[in-house]
Parts: sequence; C-alpha cells; structure tokens
Amino acid sequence: MEILQYEFMQRALLASLMVGLAAPAVGIFLVQRRLSLLGDGLGHVALVGVGVGVLTSTAPVGAALVAAIAGAVLIELVRARGRTSGDVALAVLFYGGIAGGVVLLSLAPSGQATNLDAYLFGAITTTSAGDLAAFGVITVVILSVVWLLGQRLYAVSDDEEYARAVGLPVLALNVVLAALVASTVVLSMRVVGLLLISALMILPSAVAQLLAGSFRQALLLACGIGLVVSLAGTTASYYTGTPSGGTIVLLAIALFLLVALAVAVREATGRRRHRRKVGLHAAHPHEHGEGCGHRPVPHGDHVDYDHDGHLHAPHRTGTGVHYDEHGEHPVPAPVEGKAGRP
Amino acid sequence: MTGRTLAEQQPPGPDRDLAVGLRGASIGYGDVPVVQGVDLTVRPGEALAVLGSNGSGKTTLARGLLGLASVLGGEVTVLGAPVGRLRDRGRVGYVPQRHTVSGAVPATVREVVGVGRLARRGLLGRPTAADRAAVADAIEAVGLADRVRDPVASLSGGQQRRVLVARALAAEPELLIMDEPTAGVDAANQQALAGVLAEVSSRGTTLLVVTHEAGPLAGVLTRAVVVDHGRVRYDGPLAGAGPLAGDAGHHHPGDPDDHPATGYRQHQPWTSSRPVRARDGEQ
Repeated sequence: MEILQYEFMQRALLASLMVGLAAPAVGIFLVQRRLSLLGDGLGHVALVGVGVGVLTSTAPVGAALVAAIAGAVLIELVRARGRTSGDVALAVLFYGGIAGGVVLLSLAPSGQATNLDAYLFGAITTTSAGDLAAFGVITVVILSVVWLLGQRLYAVSDDEEYARAVGLPVLALNVVLAALVASTVVLSMRVVGLLLISALMILPSAVAQLLAGSFRQALLLACGIGLVVSLAGTTASYYTGTPSGGTIVLLAIALFLLVALAVAVREATGRRRHRRKVGLHAAHPHEHGEGCGHRPVPHGDHVDYDHDGHLHAPHRTGTGVHYDEHGEHPVPAPVEGKAGRP
Repeated sequence: MTGRTLAEQQPPGPDRDLAVGLRGASIGYGDVPVVQGVDLTVRPGEALAVLGSNGSGKTTLARGLLGLASVLGGEVTVLGAPVGRLRDRGRVGYVPQRHTVSGAVPATVREVVGVGRLARRGLLGRPTAADRAAVADAIEAVGLADRVRDPVASLSGGQQRRVLVARALAAEPELLIMDEPTAGVDAANQQALAGVLAEVSSRGTTLLVVTHEAGPLAGVLTRAVVVDHGRVRYDGPLAGAGPLAGDAGHHHPGDPDDHPATGYRQHQPWTSSRPVRARDGEQ
C-alpha cells in the first residue's frame, strides 16, 4: 500500500475514518426526524466561524465549532417557538451564515491561506496533526453522547409529542442533537467540505434504513457504510486525483441507488406475482362460501378455502372481495380506518 | 340533566386525591379556548369515556391533561398536582390518536415499547432488569410477545395500535389517557384491546379514553362524559350516555347527539356496530 507511505495520506485516512463513523451516527436521527437538511444549514453557519477564525488568526476549526453550535442552539429555540416565521428565521440564519463567511474571508489580509474552496468542498490532504487531535476529541464526544443518549434521541426524533407528554426533556434533547450535528459539521469540514457535509450524514442512514430491521441495526449499519465509503472514497481520490469530498459522496449515492433499486425490484416481483394470481382467479369468477364445492378451512377470524390444493383466503378491498393465496397481505392497508376519525 | 346530578351527588374530595380534577377549566391553543368552563373529577381507579363528535373538544380536553394544550383558565390537576407542575410525568401513560408507528428508520416492537419506559429511567439511566421486565410484560399484555424482534412496520394497523398501547403500559402508569384507541381497528383487535384495558383497570389504573364510539370498550368503561362544543353535556354511567346525549335537544348534521331513532347512523357512532372486514392482518 504505497498510499500509506505518505504522512498526509495517513492523516487523511484517519480523518475520513473518524468522519465516516461519526457523521452517520448523528445523521440517522435527522433522517428519523425528517430533518435531513439541518446539517446543510449548519454547514452554512459554520462558514462564519471559519471567517472569524481566519481573520483573527485563531484556529478556524475552533471558531467554526463555536459558530455552528451557537447556530444550532438558536435554530432549536426558534423551532421550539413553533411559529411559521421560524422557517424564514432559519433561512436568514443559514444564508446569513454563508454570506457572512464569504465576506469575512475576503477581508483577510493577503498572503493568508483563505482558500474558500478548501472549506466549501474539503481539502483532506491539508489536515494537520493539530486538526487530527481536535477531530479525535470531537469524534469521541459525538460517539459517547450517542451511546449515552441514543434511545432518548430516538424517542424525541420518532414522536416528539409523545416524548413531551411523558415528560422527557424534549427541548434539551433537541439542543443536544443540534449540537451534535454542529460538531459533525465541523469534523467533516476538511474531509467533505461544508457544502457536502449533509450527504455523509444522510446517505449512509438512507441506505441502512432500506436494509435494517431495527433502529439499532440501522445505526450500526449506517456507521459501517459511512466508514467504508469514506475510506474508499479517500483512497480512490488519491489515485484519480479527484477531490475527496465529491468522490466520497458520489460513492455513497451510487451505493444508495444500487440498494434502492434492488429493494424496488424485490418488491415489484412480489407484487407482480400477486397480480398474476389475482388475474388467474378473476378469469373464473367464483365467490367462496358455504357449499361452494371447495373445502372450507377455518383460520382465526376468517375461513380459507381449499382450491385445487392451495388455500384461498378472502381479501376485501374497496371494490369487493377477491381471494389471495394464503399468507399474502401480511399488512393490509387500514381501509375502514379513515372514515371514523375526527 | 340527570347525569350531571349523579356526579354531583358525590362531592369531590381534596384535589390531591384525584386522578384528574378540572374546575371551571378552559383549555385551548395559543389564547383560543376550545374547551370552556369544564368541571370534572375522576377518582383513582375509575374507567372513564370522554365522548363527543369531531371537533367537540374531547381531544383538546385530554391534551390539556397531558400538557400538550394550554390551560387558559380555571384549574386542572393531574394526579394531585396542577398540570404544569406535575414533576413525574412518567406516571401518566399516553396513547396518541395515530394509526401507525411511522418513523423513517425501521424499529422493532421492543424498541418502540422501550421508549415508553424512558420516562421512568431518569436523565441518563441505563435500562435495569426491572425496566426490561416492564417492557416485556407490556408487550406480553397486548399479545405481541412473539413479535418483539419484528419491525413495527411489518405489523397490521391494529397490531401497531397495540404496540402504542404497550408503549404506554411499559411506564406502569397510574393514569392512562388514550385518544381514539379503537378508531380504524378491526373487531378482533378491538376485543384484544378491551381485554388489555380490563386487565389494566383491574390493577387500579385510572383510564381516560377519548372516543366517538365507546361500544367496543363498553365492558370496561363504566362512566361517560359527553363533550359538545367545548362543554360537558353529560356526566354519568356509560349506558345512559347515548340516549341522554340525544335528548339534549341539540341537533345539527354531523353531531353525534342525535338519537338512534332519527336513523342517522353516523350520528350515533358509539352505539353502532362497525362493519367488520373479512380478513385482518393477523396470521
């Protein structure tokens, strides 16, 4: 592995390892909460911090962290007010962030490293040993908080109203989650850049959500996927000479499309098989009932009929009744449900 | 109204002994009251139906008890404390009016029910053996013990509703508030739910069930409060709620106050039997 001979690549791979692990661990809660673009907005806000950091010659990473967390807390407070103006407030915050960052960076004295591209799209090979130490601390904090509060974050992301009704500290948990997102944004800044951060939080979770059977499984799977695409993308970018951020995100998107396609194909074949059977029986319309000539087989709350060696179960739909092969439709759509609700 | 008189014959004790106490309570959202001037006392262990048509304010009443709607006037106490100052909200169980459990990310029955136990575990507490047992018991109680590891999304609508009931039971609540638990649930699942509630009630848990059709739970719920246009129109035995509400002399289309004899089937939904689908998701 010649790639490991270079110190800058060692640092790059270490950074992408941490990002790959931490970003999906936080992102899965955003996916659950259907707030996928929060990370994107906080990326915008972080740019102000970068601008301040560069201008004052302090560490941009630290300043970005402060700006992003402050923005995150502000957003949650606006959201908690629950007013429609909240949407506009978020837009002001996000675009104010990116505009402020661009202007501040342009004011930096010439001769200073103010490469806007490096922050917007990532510049993994510029990761310094100092950055790496900061990233390590951020990663440990993120993963610890997720481990400690994961179930509570899940509860709030899944059903905020229920969480409030039973007395969970909803606002505090939302602020914690937003702060985690902000930390992830800063952590991912060097690797994928502020404009692509959301992708690394959301895409691995989106893939995991298609495959997993439980939330815990989805969380672990998302971290695994994040780790693999992050390392693979960084390695690939070394050989192809492409930017690491874009390469990682394209890999993740390719994986997502592949898995989504596979799942869709699997479901479509299932549906087609079902339609073929329904069509078969429509060809000889026959309503099973007492004395219809087929052997009745009581099963729970309904009666199946032995039809040429296979069991037919009644399936009522809005248009009438047809008969399925036994065991189909494990999850019937709640047909009569909507009628009686206020 | 006879019903109101019945309730008045038992003067309310000190509020701290009540499961729920409302005195001249107005509840609503923002500064708009939906429910006004409601007096209601529910003693521990009672099984109460809150009946009413769509938009009558029955759901707002329940949400006021949960801290999800604002108390705009009067007094509202829950488990002896003013609703805003109830410290241990975990003592109140809540089954929201919702058809399904719908997160973007899949979750198992055990994971969803486990959330119900969180309120009992403190800020950072890890699950103890007692917590796990409570979750397992709650799942067992709703008859889904063989589905604990299954994704909730793979269950039928009625089963998902039972998962939400189990989530509330996992906290071992003293007061269980349910919003339309039987709406859109097939007969088999309604019966299962009635069985669960009978068991919960026999253990001394106070039940407050918001519904527009108490019929499926008639064996469990004993007392009824009829809410109409944000006010209590009837308070008395469940059996008397339908006809009594119909005698209120207050008729307009879509109002469930109509007497069954008027022939408007949809106007007296909690005494009607719902059509039963031939086949439910239970396998």
